[in-house]
Amino acid sequence: MSAFTDLVGAYRDRLLRFLLTRCASYADAEDALQDTLINAYRYIHSYDPRWRFSTWLYRIAIRNAAKLHTPDTLELGELRAEESDPLLQCIADSESRNLWINARHLLNDEVFQAMWLRYAEDMSVNDIAKALDRSASWTKVNLMRGRRKLDAELNGAEKRSEAYG
Amino acid sequence: MDKLANRLRHDADEIEVTVSDELDRRIAASLRNVTPREEAVSAPESRRPALFWWASSLTGIAAAAAVIVVINSQQPAEVATPTPVELIATVPVIDWKAESAMLTGQLQQELDNLQSDIKKAEQKVKEDIGL
Repeated sequence: MSAFTDLVGAYRDRLLRFLLTRCASYADAEDALQDTLINAYRYIHSYDPRWRFSTWLYRIAIRNAAKLHTPDTLELGELRAEESDPLLQCIADSESRNLWINARHLLNDEVFQAMWLRYAEDMSVNDIAKALDRSASWTKVNLMRGRRKLDAELNGAEKRSEAYG
Repeated sequence: MDKLANRLRHDADEIEVTVSDELDRRIAASLRNVTPREEAVSAPESRRPALFWWASSLTGIAAAAAVIVVINSQQPAEVATPTPVELIATVPVIDWKAESAMLTGQLQQELDNLQSDIKKAEQKVKEDIGL
C-alpha cells in the first residue's frame, strides 16, 4: 500500500484541483478524490500499462465526479453565489478574472474537461480521448470549439477593458 | 505557445489547492481497509488426464464419420415427376382481345395465320408430352 501511496502522491493535489472544477462543493471534491484513490487501489490489477497512469487516474476521477453530479446539485454552467463556489475560494486575488471560471459557464462539461486536461494537465489528445472515453477526432474537434469560445471571450474582455480605459 | 494556452495554464496555476492532512489521513485509513482485487479469476486447471481428451476427440471423429456413412448409404428420395395434366395447367392461356370488326383484311388474315400456328404448336407440344 505504501508503494501505491507514493505513486499517487504526485497526483493528489492536481486531482483535487481538477475535481474542484467538477464538484459543487469542496467537500464533494474531497470525497471524489478519496473514492478515486480507493477505486484506483482496488482495481490496480486492471490498469493497462499502455495508458499513462495519470490518464487512468483522471478517468476514474471523472467517473467519480459524475456520480456526485446528482440532479439536485448545480450544473457547472449554472450561476451560483460566488461566496459558495469552491473554485473561487481557491483562486488567488488577481487583476483579471480567472478564465477557467468563464470556461465553466461557456463550455459544456465534457468540453471543459477536455480543455482542462489539455491546458492545465498538458495531456495529449489521445490521452484526453482515453480519459473521456471519446474518439481522438471528437476530442480534437471539441478542443478547437472550446478554444474558439474562450478566444472570443478573452478578446472580448480585452476590448472591453481597453474601451473603459 | 499561443496566448490562450498560456493564459489557461497561468489561470490553472492560480488555483491553489492542497490535500489537507485530515484528508490525507482519511484516505490512508480508507486504503488500509481496501484489498486490491485480483485479476480476472483464471479458469481452474483441468484435472482430467490427456488421454481423456484424446479419447473424446477420437469418439467425436468416429461419430461424425458414422453420420456421414449413414447419410450417404440412404436411398435418394424419389423425385416427384410432374404429371402431364399439371404441365398443361401451367401452359398459359393466351387471351386474345382483338376486335375483328376493326381490323383490316390483311391483319385479319395475319391473325388467322398466327392462331393457326399457335394451334399447331399447341398440338405439337401435346404430342411431345404424350397426350
